[in-house]
Amino acid sequence: MNVALKLVTLAAVSISFGTVAFSQAPASKPAAISRTPDGHPDLQGIWTSASVVPLERPAGLKGKEFFTEKEAAENEKRVLGMSSWERLGSQAPEHYNMSQYGLDLSQAKVASTLRTSLIIGPDGRIPPLTEEAKKRNAERSARNRGHQFDGPENRPLQERCLIYYSEGPPMLPAAYNSNLQIVQEPNRVAILQEMIHSARIIPTDGTPHLPPGVRQWMGDSRGHWEGDALVIDTTNFTDKTAFFGSTAGLHLTERFTRVDQDTIVYEFTAEDPATWIRPWTAQIRLVKIDGPLFEFACHEGNQGVANTLSGARAKEKAAAEAAKQISK
Amino acid sequence: MNRKSPAPGKAGVLIACASLFVTMAPAVAHHSFAAEFDIDRPLKLRGVVTEMEWVNPHSWIHIDVKGADGKVVSWMVEGGSPNALLRLGFNKSSLPAGSEVVVAGFQARDGSNRAVGQSVAFADGRKLFLGGSAPGARGDSDK
Repeated sequence: MNVALKLVTLAAVSISFGTVAFSQAPASKPAAISRTPDGHPDLQGIWTSASVVPLERPAGLKGKEFFTEKEAAENEKRVLGMSSWERLGSQAPEHYNMSQYGLDLSQAKVASTLRTSLIIGPDGRIPPLTEEAKKRNAERSARNRGHQFDGPENRPLQERCLIYYSEGPPMLPAAYNSNLQIVQEPNRVAILQEMIHSARIIPTDGTPHLPPGVRQWMGDSRGHWEGDALVIDTTNFTDKTAFFGSTAGLHLTERFTRVDQDTIVYEFTAEDPATWIRPWTAQIRLVKIDGPLFEFACHEGNQGVANTLSGARAKEKAAAEAAKQISK
Repeated sequence: MNRKSPAPGKAGVLIACASLFVTMAPAVAHHSFAAEFDIDRPLKLRGVVTEMEWVNPHSWIHIDVKGADGKVVSWMVEGGSPNALLRLGFNKSSLPAGSEVVVAGFQARDGSNRAVGQSVAFADGRKLFLGGSAPGARGDSDK
């Protein structure tokens, strides 16, 4: 593996406006990072996980885990030149101009990377589902078919302002506002997500996990230090927050390594034998940004659920009237 | 209303939760635009701002639109989340009541006077907010 070499050589790459190059591999000893009085790396600050590479490796880059420096620069330029709708693969015409509202990726600070996907390893994709998971998903789909618009309970969690897909754990870049704040104390670490407002308070004092019977939407997280890496172990999930179809048995390991003053390498490994044939790991570079985070009281102005449901009722009514006309 | 019937409701909850992560690609915003607004009902409104709600997850611009018959009709127009606008340096006084604006967007599926503002401009053609050109855009203010 010449990953370290690749990471180091990227420092020499001239970078485009708004991006931050990384200057060293996570494995190498950080030159000068801030530390807290207890000697641990200081992870505190406001960070963004905005990324120019997708979670899963595009089919066209199969087998290619890293770009060359030139390819990485080209990819970055290409992605930042796309509209958000184009980048996220929307087939529909754009419903609103993200750029006008300051929400385009090109308007955010983004870490440069040689990676072709956030998921690491030769495949760069979420592993295949187990037979059990395929059956489970098919049964869920069958039960749900035709009921997606029955009521608020049938709508996705993020539409209901309960939890956003990017909040995790594990954390992922969001479509926009991928901002988070880390606050560190000797015995705990807090992570606050701007979208859509969740805060995790993670003990790092060696207290054990909650009993298995206690299940939480964001699981139960316990942190400890392995050298200069903060490692967070999360269990006790519910089945309400399935992560790419996972069960309540999901086991997550997150690692935070501050590699320089501007960058934290955040890595997570997701393991759920009832869902995937093997564990998988993704790596995201968090870049320091100016504060503050702004409050995101999501339900304050959440017209989305009501509009969606009234839209569905109107559609049903129109269909019923059309059927009546036909039967006349 | 049949949504209280327990069986499908419960099943629906399960899949809704599962789809939180499974269907990430279309999750551009926090909700499905296609379910809320009708791409087949494009509209263009010229009106006077009565209020801009700086609320999450989406801002809402309220405008009064005078029809050809002289009758005034109130519309609500959905925009982006205000956090990024704040970050770009805009604030509550950036779109005062009385401003004349032109909205190009799509009407709500239920046919009510609500729309999503694909593009919102002042009467003289300048776009509102001009995201990206304000200080701090692209996060470069700390460089």
